[in-house]
Amino acid sequence: MEELTLDTLIARIKDKDEKVRTAAWQGAGKVGPDALKPLAAVAKDGELEVSRAANRAMWQIVRYTGRPGAESEKKATVEALLDLLGDDQQPLQLRRDIVWMLSEIIDDAAIDPAGAARYLENPDLREDIRAGLQRVGGPNAVAALKAGLEAAADDFKPSIACGLRALGVDVPNVPCLKLKPTKQTSVKPVGRS
Amino acid sequence: MHRTLPRRTFLAASIGGGALPYLLPEGILAAPGKPGAGQRITVAHIGVGGMGSAHLANMKEFRSQGAVNIAAVCDVDEKRLRGAAASAGPGVMPYRDYRYILERKDVDAVIIATPDHWHAVQCVHACESGKHVYVEKPASVTIAEGKAMVAAARKHNRVVQVGSQARSAKPAHDACTYIRNGMLGTVRKVTCWHDPCPTGGAAPDCPPPSGLDWDLWLGPLRWRPYNPGYGPGTFRWIMESGGGQIRDRGAHVMSIIVWCLDADRQTPVAVHATGSPPAKGLWDCPPRMRVEYTFANPDWQLIWEQPGEARGPGGFGMVFHGDKDTLVVCRDGTRIDAEPKARHFKVPAGGVTVYRMDKYADYNMNHKEDFFQAIKSGKRPCMDIEIGHRVATLCNLGNLSYVLGRKFRWVGQKQEVVGDDQANRLLARPQRHPYHL
Repeated sequence: MEELTLDTLIARIKDKDEKVRTAAWQGAGKVGPDALKPLAAVAKDGELEVSRAANRAMWQIVRYTGRPGAESEKKATVEALLDLLGDDQQPLQLRRDIVWMLSEIIDDAAIDPAGAARYLENPDLREDIRAGLQRVGGPNAVAALKAGLEAAADDFKPSIACGLRALGVDVPNVPCLKLKPTKQTSVKPVGRS
Repeated sequence: MHRTLPRRTFLAASIGGGALPYLLPEGILAAPGKPGAGQRITVAHIGVGGMGSAHLANMKEFRSQGAVNIAAVCDVDEKRLRGAAASAGPGVMPYRDYRYILERKDVDAVIIATPDHWHAVQCVHACESGKHVYVEKPASVTIAEGKAMVAAARKHNRVVQVGSQARSAKPAHDACTYIRNGMLGTVRKVTCWHDPCPTGGAAPDCPPPSGLDWDLWLGPLRWRPYNPGYGPGTFRWIMESGGGQIRDRGAHVMSIIVWCLDADRQTPVAVHATGSPPAKGLWDCPPRMRVEYTFANPDWQLIWEQPGEARGPGGFGMVFHGDKDTLVVCRDGTRIDAEPKARHFKVPAGGVTVYRMDKYADYNMNHKEDFFQAIKSGKRPCMDIEIGHRVATLCNLGNLSYVLGRKFRWVGQKQEVVGDDQANRLLARPQRHPYHL
């Protein structure tokens, strides 16, 4: 596969030809984390398939730089993603994707428990943040979840508690809701109106 | 020694005639050839779409034989639910939320035919609630989920049968018997061919159709807006849910392969996938794909290809390459079939016989009969969850290698990838609250 530069990657991601776009996002890994911010900008494009190609290119960078032996590339990718996550001007769905991208490659040591706990207060991101911390699962992630539990609204405590329990932490004062049915149907059994 | 009679038996014995039988629910009293209520298994259906409707049809047949009660049907799509309730008939309660079913003490077993991303969570919840489980294949969408299913089945001593019903079908059994009796010699390679994954999902996100509970359909998956390309019937082509052909039909094909080679307990040591992604659309499973699985001790290779080289009709199949001969097993019309040499093979004296439930002509009925007999006997069913998990693991590892764009080594004993932290992170995927393990 032809090696791309940042400029050719961005140009080809916006190409009208789907084959050109696909080849471009597949080659994004080697362009590396410098492309993440420009790709995030393209991902806001009004043309759905262009936006999708840009998003896939971001994922490709995450998967490529997450490979064994690429520690410095991975670190740079994590830094770029954290910057994007912290930018509340970025579209919400993209920020959620970024949380999941980080969950694949961020080292527990790179998690700031207090900072992550603050994200747990963001109603639009909190569930994805909880899941991401749960996936990372090291001491800093656990500390973030514990701090988040303290500050969380009552309706969100069960979610954080589920994350902590999945990591082996006992949370006795918050109920587990997983088996509690909540949704009724309007469909009646046969023979009843 | 006097034996205390179970309550229902006591009631049956004390009825003298007249009006009393009308106070008892139908089926309490045994009749010749028809088990009494004490021997019926009470089942409930979770997911009554495509495969779910087929399972319901089977259960209605079992019900007509007096073998089961159907207590409930459940679906997050009100239209499907209404249809299933009508089909199941009086006395069957419809639900949207499967957790109501799990609360019921009268339900012995659940039949789970929801989209793949729900299988593990519902199976584990069912086991935790004391229910036996028949769960559609693939067992799970991540390695961690599969492990949790096995753990739940064992901890709660529940029978969990995975719906790889070819193990209850004569043609696959013929192939298995033929191969296990050495007719191919030593098999060092199995190659598969399969139609490519379709491409599509071009529409933008939009509100869900009325009557579909999108939150409950998504369940354990992370939140996303509804899209007609990602929902009932189309989830199959989304990696995080359906996982494409390799996890759909692949689960059947790989189950047959490891059964035939008596390799249920063997795990690969290396997995290498390559593939080409779709050029556009929401569907992200690769139309074309090649996965090489390397096994050691005994050494053999499994190669999955989309499309691969077709050696028969019907869109998919497998070829067992032995040092003495080969055998093709493929779809012939609507079912799997093996070559005539396998179909007509008779096990010689002292040869290897392979178990298969053979009570019915319909292998779907056989697979469920095996499940029911496991419940009654306490033995493991023929496609026990541990085997189902191992088969799903093959499918999931193939997709993992494709997604990461790299080969990896696998340690089956530990169920982990060697030296690849990102790959190991992807063996699990935290579920969305409250739809979690």
